[in-house]
Amino acid sequence: MRKTVSVLILALVLANLLVGCKPALTPTATPVSAAPMLIPGPTSAPRTLTLPGDDWGYPSPFTRYPRGPGYIQMSFLFDTLAWKDERGMIPWLADSWEVSEDGTRWTFYLQEGVRWHDGEPLTAEDVTFTFGYLKEHLAPGFEALSEQIERVEAQDEHTIVLYLKEPIAGFLSDVAGSVPIIPRHIWEGVEDPKRFTGKEAVIGTGPFKLVEYSKEECRYIYEANGEFFKGKPVIDRLVFTKVQDEALALKTRTVDAAFFWGKEIEAVRELEAEPNLEVIEGPSFWVLQLIFNYERPPFDKVEVRRAIAHAVDRSRIVEQVTHDGAIVANLGIISPGTDWYNPQLSPCDYDPSGAEEILDEVGVRGLSLTLLTTGEFVREAELIKADLGQVGIEVEVKSADWGTIDGLLREGDFDLAISGHGGIADPGMLDTPTWPAMVYEDEELDRLFEEQGKTLDEERRRALVWRLQEIIAEKLPVLTLYHPKIWCVYDPAKLDTWFYTKGGIATGIPTEQNKLVFLKR
Amino acid sequence: MIDMRVAQYLLTMFIVLSLNFFLPRMMPGDPLSYLTGDPTADMPVAISEEVREKLLAYYGLDEPLARQYTDYLINLAHGNLGWSIYYKAPVSSVLLGRLRWTLLLMGTATLGYVALGILLGALSAWRRGTRTDIGLLVSVFSLGSWPPFFLAMLLIILFSVKLGAFPIGGAKSPTGSNAAGLKLAAEVAYHLFLPSLALVLTHLSGVYFLMRNSMLGVLGEDYIRTARAKGLRKRDILLRHALPNALLPIVTMIAMHLGFLIMGTMFVEVVFAYPGTGTLIYQACTTRDYPLLQGTFLLIMAFVMMFNLAADLLYSRLDPRVRRA
Amino acid sequence: MRRLLDAMREQRLALVGLAMLALFGLLAAFAPSLSPHDPAEMDTPMLPPNRPHPLGTNDIGQDILSELLYGARFSLFIGFLSAMASTAIGLCLGLISGYYDRVGFAVMRVVDVFLAIPRFPLIILMAAFLKPGLRTLVLFFVLLGWPRATRLVRSQILTERNREYVDAVRLVGASDLRILSRHLLPSSISIALVRFIMEFQHVILAESGLSFLGLGDPTVKSWGAILHYAFEYPTIFISDVWVRWAMPPGICITLVVLALTFTGFSLEEWAEPRLRH
Repeated sequence: MRKTVSVLILALVLANLLVGCKPALTPTATPVSAAPMLIPGPTSAPRTLTLPGDDWGYPSPFTRYPRGPGYIQMSFLFDTLAWKDERGMIPWLADSWEVSEDGTRWTFYLQEGVRWHDGEPLTAEDVTFTFGYLKEHLAPGFEALSEQIERVEAQDEHTIVLYLKEPIAGFLSDVAGSVPIIPRHIWEGVEDPKRFTGKEAVIGTGPFKLVEYSKEECRYIYEANGEFFKGKPVIDRLVFTKVQDEALALKTRTVDAAFFWGKEIEAVRELEAEPNLEVIEGPSFWVLQLIFNYERPPFDKVEVRRAIAHAVDRSRIVEQVTHDGAIVANLGIISPGTDWYNPQLSPCDYDPSGAEEILDEVGVRGLSLTLLTTGEFVREAELIKADLGQVGIEVEVKSADWGTIDGLLREGDFDLAISGHGGIADPGMLDTPTWPAMVYEDEELDRLFEEQGKTLDEERRRALVWRLQEIIAEKLPVLTLYHPKIWCVYDPAKLDTWFYTKGGIATGIPTEQNKLVFLKR
Repeated sequence: MIDMRVAQYLLTMFIVLSLNFFLPRMMPGDPLSYLTGDPTADMPVAISEEVREKLLAYYGLDEPLARQYTDYLINLAHGNLGWSIYYKAPVSSVLLGRLRWTLLLMGTATLGYVALGILLGALSAWRRGTRTDIGLLVSVFSLGSWPPFFLAMLLIILFSVKLGAFPIGGAKSPTGSNAAGLKLAAEVAYHLFLPSLALVLTHLSGVYFLMRNSMLGVLGEDYIRTARAKGLRKRDILLRHALPNALLPIVTMIAMHLGFLIMGTMFVEVVFAYPGTGTLIYQACTTRDYPLLQGTFLLIMAFVMMFNLAADLLYSRLDPRVRRA
Repeated sequence: MRRLLDAMREQRLALVGLAMLALFGLLAAFAPSLSPHDPAEMDTPMLPPNRPHPLGTNDIGQDILSELLYGARFSLFIGFLSAMASTAIGLCLGLISGYYDRVGFAVMRVVDVFLAIPRFPLIILMAAFLKPGLRTLVLFFVLLGWPRATRLVRSQILTERNREYVDAVRLVGASDLRILSRHLLPSSISIALVRFIMEFQHVILAESGLSFLGLGDPTVKSWGAILHYAFEYPTIFISDVWVRWAMPPGICITLVVLALTFTGFSLEEWAEPRLRH
């Protein structure tokens, strides 16, 4: 009996091997080369661009992985009502829009002549369907839609009106610029979208069509959509493939561009020296913070937090650990790369003796703390430990994987932790329950935050956001350490239209892989 | 007597399956941490407690542990490995998709180091104590003493970067997916060479040493002396008498290596970004993907059992003494 | 004559191995006096080799040579202690479970369970709940290592206890304790020694592997930790930094493992007939 079972298992395994090396999920591959030319002449090979990637899920709005890169893959296939370029919001699926005085009613006028990859026309019905469907099925990244949007109506074939419960300041970028429009004629019959992985799941209006996706090889192959409403992309074939090291891949030209941030500046410096590569630098919206467990003494005292802020030499961290791949943050969390940055905040100088004084004043001495961090920031942790040691605070560094740290942070089982957050392009993103700075209870902070979220007038909103940063700098629920810079190093012969999107695409993803890069502009 | 052993077997299996269920859940954090909270992401994905609850319910993670446990066992009995939370695909498809690459890698490497190990081991035994023997001992063991990931990185730096002779990693070239038949095989082979070489160099010493010792043992036996006395040629003695018997313990060793192949190729796969199962456990652990973790452990257990059985079968076939008994 | 020389050559390897181990031991022991700097001291990052820093500095400006010397302490200590503890436990439990069947059955079931514990969840759990440091690491390796040692010793005892001399001694009236300590224990020492060496090798390699993956303890400055940061460095593949940063700890690990292998040769030859793989 046992023998038979084991032979069966063996046979199964071998059978699978023999069945062939086809990737797990493949829509039918369309042959890339055109039909053979009758008159021999210069044949143009398809223009292919290869970029470094990873597995971010099958790029439908429901099966992609919820983080930034997953969104980017999906964005090549699906479009939004509005989009962004290097200067700000631009019309996209909607060629114009209006907002009511009180900000609760948005009207969008769709472009005419937009078609889905399967040839069907895009209509307002698709848009109204999308909002309802995403809300109902908890689409990753858009779960909050249910709270914000009251209802969506199609007034005619090309006009949609969205009714909000309250005005949303970041509506254009966070909602109109982020929600992918899906075809009603395909999704209305789908009961469990999270398990819908057929060819139809990736039919969108976008500049590319998916040709191949291999989960284990982390490969995406896209083909240009000749009928795209903004014109055919300049790249015929877009390929993403997994590499173990982007610098290595670019150097050996396994990929045609590579993306770096923060400490990786050394790779940028090394590659910059090559004559055939170019570099662009961009603002990042990412911030590294030292999180205080302000619910636990001694961190419930703002003086203690301020003392630590003075005790840590943040410029030294930037210099020694990131090799100037980052900029020292001011205390307001928001990065200078955004429009909302408040440059007038009083800086927090490195002043260890001042720190000791404050600690003496509040009578807090002889502290012994644990500092949590993921493996990525252990160096920073070591420097902080050394700095705090100078003012008489003993620190034990504990490194763990992110899952552990998240668990411990949620339970409030820590003293200090190093963690970072990205995407603070629009202050609206600050209101996320996982960000300790925002969980901090302060009346004024909460009030300001709510108000700026509803203020459509940019100047007024800016004033509110500046005040917000002032309070954060005063109350110091977290100590901001640095903002890493980001770069794109690329082979200009393959593609040289790379740029940085103002405010980051969608809700603030500061990526260079804005689909506009692949279009003629 | 047989019943006892089968009962032991089943008991161990049961304990292992239960361990594989409970241990991952003891790690702090849950699958949603990675799904939504990883701060190194560009885009923050924040969900309210409400939505969190809904997602937990969708994945069946909000039920009492005992209930989840029984569901797990029942599903297992039906051959249902569940749905991977991180990969958003059936666990079985995630596993099989990667398994074929690991099998390919381990298969070619095993052929390599076994063949080479047997040859070199026999040579060493035959020329015991001579410069050849010592030279081989030192060089083969030196190679095997390197940390495997280190060896892999050196190979990349040497062959891919400096010489540009081989690709930096992956199973096939990104645009080569349309190739078929011979072209595909060539590409796969081209990408397979370095990772396979890394594994061969690391595992060579085991087989080599075992072969050498085994051969030495056999060479000292009576029937060899008889053959020598009879005047048989050295080569005949080596190939037809000493070799087959010396091979027996190697079979067990190979079976053990292969049994753990799911994880044995891990470092090489990580360094070469080879799409195999080696990195699955690590990834499933860090993303707290319970169904995938369970599935992977199950696969490991199946492999270990399968290869142990295969070894037993082969052994009884190969050893004439056992067969007669 | 030639045969004698051949035999001596083999023994020479074992001596070479011991000598290398002794050398590393000395380097580890005298690390503080031999190191040009305190490895925690931070100078300018990524300095090439020069007078004050023979191997240059690492990504945060620490002297690599000093790191290397201190690293010997940690790596050797972890390896030695883990292997020692696993083997000691293995000897004790192996003896008892090999001799007394009922106890043996129970112990073997526990062994089965421990052998089934997956490494990664275990290390993550331990990193989450225990204090970082050497002790946790050693505990981790011992938890995974004692079952193998126990099993090995037990199988040895199972064969030995049926030997004629054991029967003979029992006939004469020797107590169980006497049999265990005076007769069975010595016969298992050789096999335990072989296991000790193999475990030592395994731990050193496994520790570097864990560090490479980022699961090790970054506060413990072992050779594996040096490799971890070296391989994380963005230009490790595209520049020549690996020669002075990754090679030294890599070579040290390799040499120690090799030395252990050579030392084990003589033991292996001695224990060979009783060794079952």
